[in-house]
Order: sequence, then C-alpha cells, then structure tokens
Amino acid sequence: MNSNLNTQTIVGEEEKLRAHFYLLMSRLLGAPVDGDLLSMIRNLKGDDTPIGLEVNALSALAQNISIEAATEEYEALFIGVTQGELIPFKSYYLTGFLNEKPLAELRAHMDELGIEKSDNVAEPDDHIAFLLEMMHGLIVGTFDKPSTISEQNRFFENHIACWAPKFFEDLEAAESAHLFASVGRIGKLFMEVEGEAFLMAA
Amino acid sequence: MSNKKSESSSRRDFIKTAGLGVGVAAVASGVLSAGGAVAAPVLKNEKTVGYRETEHVKQYYESAKY
Repeated sequence: MNSNLNTQTIVGEEEKLRAHFYLLMSRLLGAPVDGDLLSMIRNLKGDDTPIGLEVNALSALAQNISIEAATEEYEALFIGVTQGELIPFKSYYLTGFLNEKPLAELRAHMDELGIEKSDNVAEPDDHIAFLLEMMHGLIVGTFDKPSTISEQNRFFENHIACWAPKFFEDLEAAESAHLFASVGRIGKLFMEVEGEAFLMAA
Repeated sequence: MSNKKSESSSRRDFIKTAGLGVGVAAVASGVLSAGGAVAAPVLKNEKTVGYRETEHVKQYYESAKY
C-alpha cells in the first residue's frame, strides 16, 4: 500500500487546469464525440482570453451540430475510407512515415516512466490523443506520483512541441474541419500557453 | 526571496490567467475519465498491471471538484 496521503505531492489548482485541458483535448481528438461529450462542449464557458474566446466559439459550434455530423467530421479527418485527411502521429509529422524513430524515442521515454499502451488500442503510441493523455497523467500523477515541471517539460519538448503546433494548424485548415477547425485553433493556443509557461519555470 | 520562487509564482499566475478554466471539471469531468468506456486511448501502468490508474483518476476527480 502506498496511498499514504503525506507522501503525495499536492497538485496545485493551476496544474489541475492544465491537466483538465490536456484531457479535454485528448478526448476530443481520441474518438468521435458521443452525447455526453457533445453536451459537455456545449456547456463550456471560456473567459475573454484568446483561449477562452475560442472555447466559446467551439461551444457555439457544438450547439448547432448533431452527433452524426460531428462523428462524420471526425471520421473524414482521422479515419477515412483508407485514411483520414490528417495523420495525427508524431512519427508521421517528423519523418513522413508511421512507426519511425520518433515513435521509438517515445517508447523509450514511456518505458522510463513506466507507461505502456493498453492492449485494446491498435494505434501506435504516438497518436496526438495518447500524448496529450500522457501529459495529463504526468501532471496529476496517474502513472506514478505527479511529475515535476521539468520532467513534464522534457516530455512536452521531445514528443509534443516538435510537431503538435503544426498538426493543430493543419487541423484548423483541414477541408473537412468545421467543429474541429475550432479544436485546432484551441490546440494551437494551448501549445503556446504551455510553451511559455514551461519557459517561466526553466 | 529567491528568483526560483518568484519565477514559479509568475508561472502560476500566467497559467491561472491563460483562460484554461473553461468549466471542464464543473460540467462533467466523468466524460473525460481516462478509465471511461469510450474508445479514447487508455494507458496503463505496467508496474501495477492495469487498473490502478482508474482508481487514481477517480480519486483525482473526487478531489478536483471545484
């Protein structure tokens, strides 16, 4: 048993905000929307920051889209008949191919952190949704105790910052993207916030 | 105070004012639970073979209600 509360690192409020945001982005990108997710997006409330305003725009778009239309959009973007419009994997973005060295580097880092992919997931580990979910886990301590900011920064720099901003730009501009164009803009802004925040901690 | 301290507090302030508080936790954090039934990628901790993170996520969401 290692649930001694005294030994747990306390995760601050601002870190929880980041963690929630990573999980939200991960969920949006990891699978088509379902009723619960769609109603959650419809109820999001941002403030008047750039991210907050874009979240409000996403929420407004979600109020005018059906689950079916949102699912079709997701499938056109990420699944397609043979493949979707976008290929949301680190290895693909950095080398033009899936399963290349950037994936091997990620797996080595995951080994070091004691993380592995669930057996029931077919996609390679470097899918954008996995990476964002791992950031969430590192922040809140899903896999072990919460990671330090510098450990989080190392993961972010090596596996996310090197390609995700470009991916989010592509998502924003994708032909099939309507609801997800907004997700792309939010993702891009979030990456900027994270990059800047890590610099402040360096 | 040391620089270290003021740097980390300016980082905290920066994050708090970056607009990330969009009501995710207040609305339906369960929807996003990594241990949920959705097809979202689910990661497991090999050290504990599987379901510890579900408990962790549950505890985390219990504690994150704010």
